[in-house]
Amino acid sequence: MLAVRSLLVRGFRNLAAQELELHPRFNVLYGENGQGKTNTIEALYLATTSRSFRTSALQDCLSHGEEASRVKVAVDDERDVGASSREQIVDLKASAQGSARRVLLSGKRPKSMATFALATPIVLFEPASLTLTQGGASERRRLLDRVGAHLLASSGGAEALLRDATRYRRALLHRKRALAQGAGARVLEPFERIMAEHGISMMQARQRATDALVGEALVAFSSIAQTHLELSIAYAPRAPTDFDGFVAALAQRRDDDARRGTATIGPHLDDLRVFLGGRPARQVASQGQHRAIVLALKGAELASIARARHVPPILLLDDVSSELDPKRSQALFQFLSAQVGQVVLTTTRPDLIPIDRDRALFEVDQGVVRARR
Amino acid sequence: MLPRHARAIARLLERLPGVGERTAARYVLHLLGEPPALSEALGQALVELHAHVKPCVRCGNLAEVEDESLPPTCEVCADPRRDPALLCVVARVQDLSAIERSGAMRGRYFVLGKLVSPLEGIGPDDLPLEQLRERIREDGVREIIVATPPSVDGEATALLLARELGSLTEPSVKVSRIASGVPHGSDLEYADQVTLGRAIAGRR
Repeated sequence: MLAVRSLLVRGFRNLAAQELELHPRFNVLYGENGQGKTNTIEALYLATTSRSFRTSALQDCLSHGEEASRVKVAVDDERDVGASSREQIVDLKASAQGSARRVLLSGKRPKSMATFALATPIVLFEPASLTLTQGGASERRRLLDRVGAHLLASSGGAEALLRDATRYRRALLHRKRALAQGAGARVLEPFERIMAEHGISMMQARQRATDALVGEALVAFSSIAQTHLELSIAYAPRAPTDFDGFVAALAQRRDDDARRGTATIGPHLDDLRVFLGGRPARQVASQGQHRAIVLALKGAELASIARARHVPPILLLDDVSSELDPKRSQALFQFLSAQVGQVVLTTTRPDLIPIDRDRALFEVDQGVVRARR
Repeated sequence: MLPRHARAIARLLERLPGVGERTAARYVLHLLGEPPALSEALGQALVELHAHVKPCVRCGNLAEVEDESLPPTCEVCADPRRDPALLCVVARVQDLSAIERSGAMRGRYFVLGKLVSPLEGIGPDDLPLEQLRERIREDGVREIIVATPPSVDGEATALLLARELGSLTEPSVKVSRIASGVPHGSDLEYADQVTLGRAIAGRR
């Protein structure tokens, strides 16, 4: 079992300084809007991943007028045989550049941010997740990269993956600037070779992530959706997957890319394509069908990470039931009851959450989270 | 709070790498606590620093100026036991010093001073490539070891050099890149995957 046993927050958003004891199974946080439910979910997400799902400018997370904040979780992990709970801390401090972040894993600075972010597998489901199949491709790439990192986590390959992404991005920006400066092949080629080297590793990891997700998603979809239409999901790399082909394709597009001001091929444009009945879901799926596909993909994310990490991830569900119609809301709760890991969810309507065993109830009111019976 | 003059010196010290506000203040207080001779010696030495130490005209390494009428030449370039046909290209003097400490380099060096970086507006024409070619011709260099850092900018510069120098025909030179691998004395199981992967790929 993997579960956050307690959460401490200080100087974070509108939340009062406090420490919460969580239930190892279901935790239902209820309250009116604007009281701090999402902030609590965000604090849990930040403490386990070092990131926020709402902002990349972490100084936004500091309480009004505060210079520093701390979020800390104690995590019980059955994989740590004989060890007491693991502590994960993320400290934020306002600085001239915006904010400084310091993370501690069991009292020590982790080897890398990837080490920290992968220590406690966690899956987030929030209202914005519902547009996964309708919005831009970046969310779908992120899904692949999260799963891809977990697939490589036990072999230590997640750091290499992070390095590939960082170096790919820098080479891409160099090439973009060089194109804008009117540079020739002499300058462009070295950066194109570096883009290809790392881009290929990124695409291989995404292909593996897709392979891990698809089977799970199809099974989940057939149990959720009331449709005879067949779902299919395919990774769509946006560059040749061999080194020479990638380099040649970049060289060929220099003029085009200079005009458009960016590289028009490469894994930064990859997508995960979803088809329903053989046609693109974006064009043919109804709202309800989109929701069902998203639910299936989220279930697949949970299942594939569970398999890769040998433990069910913690599931954070922020205000999702309010966006669903009754039928799919029911599907969501079937899905929930099938989860064997820890779940932390928020709602404005606790009466609609049909979980009455193995759970703790919390009322969120003006930044204070209180345990209720 | 330090008096005005002491504060001004602390502000200057803060511009040195690794020196923050507190360390700078510590240095100033230390100097004030010692006999004035130390501050005077330090000040005088700093005044003369740039007149006495200049970049070597041949490689860019730091050189002691012995004779004002002669172009500054560093110890490595002046050493007749060094193999003139073997040249190691580095980005910075610090990298040269690191390789020198290893004692593994029996040839000479060439310091680029910068790396190709379109993001910072540095193109190939900002690199001393013409001097490098001249050096290759003059010294009859046959082999070049490119020891730029493993960053994206360092790798791109290495690729550029390999392309530009590898096609030289008179004389023809062999261009190689330093290997990256597992640190000496450490266990393989603790090596990170990137390093280990490169060590396997670059095996010999």
